[in-house]
Amino acid sequence: MIDFEEELKKFHPSLEVEDAEEAIYNQDLTDMADLLIKMVEKNNKTEE
Amino acid sequence: MVCYNCGCRLTEHDFCTGCGVDVSTYKKIIFMSNRLYNDGLEKATVRDLSGAIVSLRQSLKLNKNNIDARNLLGLVYFEMGEVIDALSEWVISKNLRPKKNIADDYIDMIQTNQARLDAINQTIKKYNQALLYCYQDSQDLAVIQLKKVLSYNPKYVSAHQLLALLYINAEEWEKAQRELNKCCQIDTNNTTTLRYLKEVEHMLMPEEGAKNAPKKKDSTERVVRYQSGNETIIQPVNTKETKGVSSLLNLGLGVIIGVAIACFLILPGRIQSAKAEINTELRAVSEQSDAKTATIDELEQKVQKLTDENTGLKDELASYQGSNGTVKATDGLMLAVGAYMENPEDIESIAKYMEALDEGEEETQRTEAFTALYDKLMELVGTQLVEFYYNAGYESYRAEDYEAAIPNLLRAYQYDNTNGDALFYLGICYQESGDENKAKEAYAMVIDDFPGTEIANKSETYLAEINNAE
Repeated sequence: MIDFEEELKKFHPSLEVEDAEEAIYNQDLTDMADLLIKMVEKNNKTEE
Repeated sequence: MVCYNCGCRLTEHDFCTGCGVDVSTYKKIIFMSNRLYNDGLEKATVRDLSGAIVSLRQSLKLNKNNIDARNLLGLVYFEMGEVIDALSEWVISKNLRPKKNIADDYIDMIQTNQARLDAINQTIKKYNQALLYCYQDSQDLAVIQLKKVLSYNPKYVSAHQLLALLYINAEEWEKAQRELNKCCQIDTNNTTTLRYLKEVEHMLMPEEGAKNAPKKKDSTERVVRYQSGNETIIQPVNTKETKGVSSLLNLGLGVIIGVAIACFLILPGRIQSAKAEINTELRAVSEQSDAKTATIDELEQKVQKLTDENTGLKDELASYQGSNGTVKATDGLMLAVGAYMENPEDIESIAKYMEALDEGEEETQRTEAFTALYDKLMELVGTQLVEFYYNAGYESYRAEDYEAAIPNLLRAYQYDNTNGDALFYLGICYQESGDENKAKEAYAMVIDDFPGTEIANKSETYLAEINNAE
């Protein structure tokens, strides 16, 4: 049986046009490749 | 694929040929990102948009520079009605690769049309408002708002799901099912949609508790329910369909009813219309016939009139020509004048032509010109004519040829009514030829016109003889 209140919590307000700019700026674009590079650089510094 | 350290193009080796760094793990990350992109693309192709979003996000988490994955993710968001999320991805994509990027076109498609952008913004605001109404327990208002949202953006999956949830809460299962089916058409494997759908189908088919089940028979129940698309079919169990003879019987009965309907309903109407057509044609033909009859009558009258005119003209012509075709009276006068002009002494010829005048038209029909010419001719030759006819008649009388004498003596008297001898001898000729009546007339005329003369005395004597003889 579906609980209306619980299901309702899963719905979030959508971004409006005015909020798009802020959302883009706040987006974290760090990916696995960036993490790998950081790890390699850290490893190189440790070896030095 | 380029080296993350020096930017040199990588080869099949696990190290960079430019700077020598180990790129094996890096290459694995890139390959994994590409594989997830392919997976996302495949899912998007079969409309598993939720699954495609998951794969593409993972792809981007491994490699944010996977432009294709980011553009595709934007498209998937756009298809699900999440326009701002789509726009975000495309803007990021454009920033990561400013040139030769299809994200330019996608962004222009949305931003250049200001009206469309405003409509999208209004849609999002209404959706957020509907969500607020739901939190405030104003579900009716939320339903109204969501319907407006979906009228602007029919592919907004979240709006469909929220509306379905509201219908489920209100126990309007059919409406909820309709909304969820629309969601399935947009995004086939959406978990939320499938979960709601299962719940709705369970409520619509409480005995089976399954979705789209084929028909099941229950020996304890008399009816069977099953779902067929959007409809619930309820069918009695222990009924047998009639086959064979009963089908033929029903068919025959249907044919009979059809024929009866045709005979009693359709045929009279057809007959009536056919009769009306015939009457119309008959009326038209009658009118034509009447017109032609009138024309015939008119022509007949014309023919009659022309016939009468023809007859009159023929009579007129005959009067000029005579019944036996002899010389016309006018021609006779002309010939007589011509003969006189040629030889005034040829009384015999003139007399012969003048005889034609006696056989022609009566004096009352002669023209003034004819009469004038005739009178003139008589002035010139009248005396000679009288003498000629008297001599001829007297000689015939003396020869006792009374039949020949009568016309000459008669003409002699006609041309000169003072010639009593001609009249006297004419009477004798009549008497001698047996025509006593004309003889008595002639004697009477002599007695009246020439009293006291010798011929008058003799006429009295002869007249008495005739009367005594009777």
